[in-house]
Formats: sequence, structure tokens, C-alpha cells
Amino acid sequence: MAGAAVSNRQRSKIAPYLMILPALMYLGIFFMVPLYSLARMSLSHSGGSVYLPTLEFKWDFGNYLSAFSRYQDEIIRSFFYATIATALSLLLAFPLAYVIAFKAGRYKNLILGLVILPFFVTFLIRTIAWRTILADDGWVVQALGSVGLLPSEGRLLSTSWAVIGGLTYNWIIFMILPLYVSLEKIDPLLIQASKDLYSTNRRSFTKVILPLSMPGVLAGSLLVFIPASGDFINADYLGSTRTTMIGNVIEKQFLVVKDYPAAAALSMVLMLTILTGVVLYTRALGTEDLL
Amino acid sequence: MSPTPFDHLTGLANKQTSRRRFIGSGAAVAAALAIGAPIAASCSSNDKSSTATATQSGPATGTLRVSNWPLYMADGFIAAFQKASGLTVNYKEDFNDPEQWFAKVKEPLARKQDIGADLAVMPTFLMARLHGLGWLNEINDSNVPNKKNLRPDLLAASADPGRKYSAPYMSGLVGLAYNSTATGRDITTIDDLWDPKFKGRVSLFSDVQDGLGMIMQSQGNSVEHPTTETVTKAIDLVREQKDKGQIRRFTGNDYASDLAAGNIAVAQAYSGDVVQLQADNPHLKFVVPDSGATTFVDNMVIPYTTQNQHAAEAWINYVYDRSNYAKLVAFVHGVPVLSDMTDELTKVDPKAANNPWINPPKNVLDKAKGWAPLTDEQAKQYSDAYAAVTGG
Repeated sequence: MAGAAVSNRQRSKIAPYLMILPALMYLGIFFMVPLYSLARMSLSHSGGSVYLPTLEFKWDFGNYLSAFSRYQDEIIRSFFYATIATALSLLLAFPLAYVIAFKAGRYKNLILGLVILPFFVTFLIRTIAWRTILADDGWVVQALGSVGLLPSEGRLLSTSWAVIGGLTYNWIIFMILPLYVSLEKIDPLLIQASKDLYSTNRRSFTKVILPLSMPGVLAGSLLVFIPASGDFINADYLGSTRTTMIGNVIEKQFLVVKDYPAAAALSMVLMLTILTGVVLYTRALGTEDLL
Repeated sequence: MSPTPFDHLTGLANKQTSRRRFIGSGAAVAAALAIGAPIAASCSSNDKSSTATATQSGPATGTLRVSNWPLYMADGFIAAFQKASGLTVNYKEDFNDPEQWFAKVKEPLARKQDIGADLAVMPTFLMARLHGLGWLNEINDSNVPNKKNLRPDLLAASADPGRKYSAPYMSGLVGLAYNSTATGRDITTIDDLWDPKFKGRVSLFSDVQDGLGMIMQSQGNSVEHPTTETVTKAIDLVREQKDKGQIRRFTGNDYASDLAAGNIAVAQAYSGDVVQLQADNPHLKFVVPDSGATTFVDNMVIPYTTQNQHAAEAWINYVYDRSNYAKLVAFVHGVPVLSDMTDELTKVDPKAANNPWINPPKNVLDKAKGWAPLTDEQAKQYSDAYAAVTGG
């Protein structure tokens, strides 16, 4: 009897570990191993034949230095574009999520459905569609030109604005959904209580709604900023030779130049910079819901 | 060009084929157990490696997997070949950027693993690279009697004398294309590319040979004797113009839609593409710049991992029949790789036979030069230096 009790207790102790085992194995195989191999590659030196180079691991930090010094423009540009795209997403998504959560009533599901609908079309096709919309001879350019709102290049396609617009458009859904979820969780009685305490609409918003929606703002910002800074499709299709982002450089280094150590070092730089930014951002916003 | 979701889909499709083959061979094993080895062995003979099929002399059987550039095929051509040969063709337009294609296949090819293609069409420099690495099978001439129709200059080409490992598929000119409504004037020289009027409306090829060749010629240098100095001089000019904002994009084959839409006024272009685009937009013009242009040749090659060498040779032989080839040329609008095509072309498409960009007169051909074969080190050095300007 006593033995059975012990083994039961032992079993309940290892049960949680058994339950996370599949996820751990998944992370180990599909995240840690590739990450290790990427890190190792970024510190390697390629030599041997021209088209089938051999990689030799030798703690070559020079890859990082040259990656950073050669491509600092692209790195800075990527984070600049991603920051603007995140801010634009937040500005556009907040009122929308607010309306869906508090004002839409029985149309809530319909509006949510409409928000998600465009994303049934693949990313690539949607981006290519923007090329037609923003074409130099298209009606958008003509309309903006007639009211004098065109950027200095006199066109929209192949400008920074097109790339930032594409990034915002393609990733905004990842801002809308978390924002909606966090706004939806807010108890309307809290807003009513603030009104009972003679709060104006503005003060209810800044003192009650905004602080309570912070987890959504934070999650949404990260979900937009991280993929946007590594994106290369938008810069490729909507940009020009002067809007190259770090994702384009990494792609070209891996697939055309085939300098794997340089490409790996750039990927690590991108990842570490994002990680640092994310940690600082979450600290600044001071929410414990995510980290 | 970047890897697209389509590449991903192609990858999935390839996986399905290999899975089918896996199931197929599993079935063959089961059959061997059930009804004895001799019958099963004869059933699975199609799965044998190239060495077994290379020497086969009867008619080709089974499936042929072809990788080609997009829009490089005539309507009904594959169906006609299938009917004539009894072979099944699995035709894929998955070859868009030579360097990206090489990046995808080099690991499996180095390990001698199937790359999902029994025959692939590629530019000369890539063919030479694969041949140098020992990754191409020799084409058995006795299975390609129509090889006698090949243009003598291509047969003797220094990249592959006697064409043992490569069979030219289509040739063409690399020149300039322009949209006359956008430019408002004729374009005749490379200097026209740098006209401030076309700022941000010029596209260049990201490929070293196609992109830099005509620029080197405009600087008084030759592509037949390239040196680090002459290539660097051309790269410097491109960098200067890029920094000025003159160049909108560096492209592969994807300049065509921008040119047709009017986003690009002047582009480096392939003659065949422009002839095709002119059908919809008569304002598009192709021109060989005064200082000269370059030629390109795309070649059919058989990777040493082919699953059906015999079928690949049957395909090459079919393509090299003048009346079949005329249909291909009339659709693709390239410069023919077979000699004396005028009669057959006139039968299929008299307009094509009279088009100077399909049947170029001597004065045009004299201005168009082919690049000298580059050593691996040269090719890599030039390509890396140009890639640093084109965005990476």
C-alpha cells in the first residue's frame, strides 16, 4: 500500500514535466538546434572551392563587424520603417478595435470577419496588388498629384512611403486582434464607475481604458514590429534600390552571394537588436502580462 | 528575385512526387515478396538510376521532369511531344533566377540526390559551372540525330565545344527596351539611361553579364576580354547612378510588367520578351545600343541525378526538329539556335520570320557579342562586387 502511495506521488511530480515534454522537444528541434547552427555559422570562416565552400568554425567575430559596418544603413532603415509601421498600425487599429469591442453590438462578429477577410488571400498576392494600385499612371497617383500630395519623387510606387504602407497594411491585423481582445476584457462597469465619479470621457479613456488595454498595445506592437523589421517582400515589390531593408540583404547573401557566415551574422544582429528593443520596450511599458 | 510562396508550393509539390515514388517503390517491394523478384524488377526498371537508362537504346518510356523559365514554352508543344513520344511530361516553370536556383539545388546535387528535374534550361554561365563541378551527364548524340540542325557557331562555342553536355534551347539579345510614350523620344545609347528626365524610371539587370555587358561596351571595353578593371569601372558607374536615384529597380525577368505599366521608361531587356510585349503595347521598342549589346544562350542540360536520361534526350531531339522548333520560336520569340529556320518559321508565323529581333540581320548580329567564359574565381568576384551594388 505504502509503495503504491509513493509511486503515485512520484508520478504526480513528473506529470508536469511529461506534459511539457512535447513542446520542449519541438522547441529543441525546431528552434534551439537551428539557432545554434546559425550562431555557429555566423562565427565561421568560409574557404575551399568557390561554389562549394567549406565552413570552418573559428570564433570569427569579424563577420559581425563587417556585417554591421557594411549594412548599417539597411539595418537602421529597417528599424525606422518597422517603427513607423508599428505606430501607424496602432493609430489605425485602436479606434477600430475600440468600436468592435464597445460599440459594434450585434455587428461585432461581422466586423471582425471583415477585418480578417483580406488575410485569406496570400501575403504575396496582396502585396503585388498594391503595385497595380500605386502604379505611376494609376488613379491614386493622379488623384494625389492633383491635390499636390505626392512625395518628392513624384510617384508612390518604389518610395519609402509605399514600403511603409505595405508593411502597415500587411501586419496591421496582428495589432487589431490583440487590441480587440484586451479591450473586450474591460468590464464596462469600470467605465461606468469612472463616469459616476464625474470623470469626463477623455479622463475615462486615459485613466481606465488605455491602462487596461496596455497588454494588447504591447502584444500588438511586438507582433507587428518583429516581423516588419525582418520583412523583405514589401521592400522587394513596393520599394526601389534605395529602400533596401536588412531582410533583402540577408536574402541576397544567402541565395545569391551565398556568403553564409555574413548572412548568419546579419540574422543574429537583427535578432539581437530586436530582442534588446523588445526588452527595453516591455520594461518601459511596465506590464507583467507578457514577460 | 526573392523566394516566393510559389517556391514553397513547388517544394510541396516536389515532396508529393517523391512521396509517390516512395509509395511506388514500397509497392514494388511488396510485389517482389508476393509474386517473385523477376516480375517486380521489370516493373521498377523506370526507377533505375541514370547509368542504367543512359545506355538504353529502345524508345524512351516513363515520365520526364522538365524545369524551365516561365513563359518559355509554346501552347500545345508539350501535348504534341507527349503524343509523339508516349512519354509523360511533368513541366515546371520553376527556374526564375539562376543564382537562386543554384542555391537551392547545390546541396542535393553535391550529395547526388534527385532535384526533381531530369532536364533543366539554364544560361551558359550556370551550365559551365555545373559542368565544372561534374554535375552534368553527357548527352548521347546517337539519341539526338537532329543535333545536325544546330547552328554551327553554337556547336563550336568555347563554353562547351561539340556541345557534349549542353544543348542550346533559345538564344537572344540583351539590349534596351523603352516605352516611347514615357520617353517621348527614341533611345539609342547607354547614355540615354542616365538622362535626368528618366530619374527613377530606369531598370537594370541584377545579373552581372546581362547587366554590365552593354555598360562595359559603352565605356569602350569588350565582354570578350573582361578584366577586373573593366568590370569594376562599369560597376562604379552603376553605383553612381543608383546613388543619384536614377535606377528604380534591379530586376531579373520581372522588368516586363513595370515596363508595360509605364512605371519604367527605359529597361535593360531581352529581345524575346519585348517582341511578346509589343503584341499588347505597340509603344514598346527594343533597341541595340550604338555601342553594342550582348547575346545570351539558354541551354538544356541533364543533371547527373536525372531519373530518365533517355527521355531527356528524346525531348532534346524533338525540340531540334525544325518544324517543331519553329512553333516554339513563334511563341517564345527568341533568336533560333537551329540554322536555316526562315522557311519553317514562315510556315508557322510569317511575321516572326520577318522580325529583325527574331531573325536578326548581319549588322545587328555584328554588334552583339557574347561574354568570354569566366573562371570560377572571376565569376564569383564579379558577381559579389555587383551584388554589393544591386542590394546585398
